[in-house]
Amino acid sequence: MPICVSCKGNSFIRDDTSERLYCSTCGQLQDYDNYVDVYGGISGPTGTFIRLGTSGQGTDYQYRETKIHEAKKLIDDVTLRLNLSLSRGDEIKAMIDKITEGEYGQGNWFNVLIGACAYVAMRRDNKSMPIAQVGSTIGCDDYELGRMIMRVVDFLDLKKPDFPEFDIVKLYERTLQNWRMFGNLGESVKERMKKQGIFLIQCAIKWFLTTGRRPLPMVVAILVLVAELNGVGGVTIQECAKEVNAVVNTCRLRYRELLEALVKAAQVLPWGKDVTVKNVIRHAPSVIQYMEKKSMSEPRGKNDLDLEGCVGLDLKDVVRECLRKDCDADNSAAEIEKLNKLSHDSQQMDKLKLSHECLSMIYSKFLDEIENLKSSGGFGAVHEREERQYFDPHDYTEWWNGKSELSKKLLLKNILEKDVGLDPMPPSYVKGLKACKRRRERIHAAKQRIHNIMHPSNAHSDACISEDVLTGRKRKRRRSLDWEDLIIETLLLHQVKEEEIEQGWYNSLLDLHVFNSGFM
Amino acid sequence: MAEQGLEGSGSQPVDLKQHPSGIVPTLQNIVSTVNLDCKLELKAIALQARNAEYNPKRFAAVIMRIREPKTTALIFASGKMVCTGAKSEVQSKLAARKYARIIQKLGFPAKFKDFKIQNIVGSCDVKFPIRLEGLAYSHGAFSSYEPELFPGLIYRMKQPKIVLLIFVSGKIVLTGAKVRGETYEAFENIYPVLTEFRKNQQWYGYVHNSLPFIQSCLSNEGYKHVYFFQLTD
Repeated sequence: MPICVSCKGNSFIRDDTSERLYCSTCGQLQDYDNYVDVYGGISGPTGTFIRLGTSGQGTDYQYRETKIHEAKKLIDDVTLRLNLSLSRGDEIKAMIDKITEGEYGQGNWFNVLIGACAYVAMRRDNKSMPIAQVGSTIGCDDYELGRMIMRVVDFLDLKKPDFPEFDIVKLYERTLQNWRMFGNLGESVKERMKKQGIFLIQCAIKWFLTTGRRPLPMVVAILVLVAELNGVGGVTIQECAKEVNAVVNTCRLRYRELLEALVKAAQVLPWGKDVTVKNVIRHAPSVIQYMEKKSMSEPRGKNDLDLEGCVGLDLKDVVRECLRKDCDADNSAAEIEKLNKLSHDSQQMDKLKLSHECLSMIYSKFLDEIENLKSSGGFGAVHEREERQYFDPHDYTEWWNGKSELSKKLLLKNILEKDVGLDPMPPSYVKGLKACKRRRERIHAAKQRIHNIMHPSNAHSDACISEDVLTGRKRKRRRSLDWEDLIIETLLLHQVKEEEIEQGWYNSLLDLHVFNSGFM
Repeated sequence: MAEQGLEGSGSQPVDLKQHPSGIVPTLQNIVSTVNLDCKLELKAIALQARNAEYNPKRFAAVIMRIREPKTTALIFASGKMVCTGAKSEVQSKLAARKYARIIQKLGFPAKFKDFKIQNIVGSCDVKFPIRLEGLAYSHGAFSSYEPELFPGLIYRMKQPKIVLLIFVSGKIVLTGAKVRGETYEAFENIYPVLTEFRKNQQWYGYVHNSLPFIQSCLSNEGYKHVYFFQLTD
């Protein structure tokens, strides 16, 4: 029992404020006795002063308000980094407000959400901004961002036409417009590059070069090609890919595919056989000119007069134009005269259209005559010409007409209606066919081997290795069978259909037919 | 069941009544579950069984593999098991039984309750290229085509409820079926649609041909509205 230090009384009252005892008799404040046990000794747990309802350094903002404020600041920051307008920022805020029910958020996921909403807002407005650009700005993976975009789209229940498909043409225009390297170009050059790019992109769509592929690498490939055709120096695939956050190797692959497609398109020209991937850039003006003129002609099917072997446009112009320019470079009046004579001849041959054979004949004749003139010393400037086997596209921009409808953004159905002189199969489909053919050859070889074993008297020595094994670069040295041949042999011996083996799902077929473990 | 295992494997001629397209999707993976109906000590299983791995920090189940049928099982402490990788329903059941037997041999009173096929994945090749943009445009209510994210078109069929991955090369993956008939039915439903969008065909002129199919796919009013909006757009 405590005793008052002053009057020795034993009646105390606790002070409400300090919680200390004072004597009810004399009022003496007693020593502090309200200790709380601390367990764990000196290294025991230490308390933290918590004041509910506040946060921050000395501010009285509520936690929620601070969080929302910070979130909005982050949205503004991302909007700025993506070069989007303030109104777009407001749109993104409204979208996030709706998605998070006004709670916004904090942490990495919130960055991704902002990026996703920015992408969706842009796409909703038919302004294509690539995922890669958004991803690199907010510092997250394309797939992570992609997943969030799909969640946002699902949540907001966005369907076409409110949420249009990604527009590769718009992306090209945007890239051309925003890239600082093209900032110094004249408006006319930019406009020409824009039209040429749109034309080529729509050709690429028609040629399945964009179907099921990321749009950005194809845009880079076309941008590089168009820049090269217009003499804009210093535009490399690496730089361009880096600028738009695309994968360099994929861009190179698309560029090569584009060149290969142009080579195929060039085959219809009389000198098409000379055009390869290596020199197609030099021939690109004439090829594109041909494609452009072809696209302006009546689509196939509508023109009943189109016959096999005839192209649906007057190729004379293309040929004459190219040859004339070639000759102009040499200032050779004789050449022009000869060419005009040839053109005149060709006009007589076919008033409206020229077949490939005709064109080929004209061109061969032209070459022969030039050769004759050279040998007879008819040309003064022959030696100068020899230095340049082809004309330089940069010296010559009139090849581009720009009047084709394909130079403007068209709907898919209109693109497909147009004929640009080439209508190839998708690369993946072609690869699949090749793989199938390779397997078929292996099956044939395997059958031969089995036959040789079963009937040794009729055995042929060379027929037991498939053609691709004989010609294959890696296996040429070995000339031996590999695991695939042995699997095919096994499957054939188990009576598996050849058509199924051709599909190449060996594991499935082995499980179903060879191990046969599914039967009880 | 043994007959089911053979069907579509190529040993028999294709039944054109069941497969009017003449193409039978090949089953690539079967996922099944079974309840062993006893608590399991995963550590003990991992220590005793061959072909088993257990890393509780990474995944809270024993991963066990057998060679025939070549499958993988996820065995949980609750006694539930997931069997993946089989090429047919029969194989999947056989594999699940083999796993249960292994568990029994390890001293656990394992039973074989509630075996169920959870997912069947099939694939096939229609052997013609497909214009995915056109398909996505005219079947927008069911399709998701985002080439930035995935090269194929994701087609969510309503009846049967199957997801199809359609690629430009003509290769198709069908997933989400509980019975193989659903996979076949889904493929037979989609095949005429795919032929409309094969290369060199004017897909936009054929949209109305798929009307009956799309209507059959529509299972609720909401989709009906979307569908007619798509057509009139």
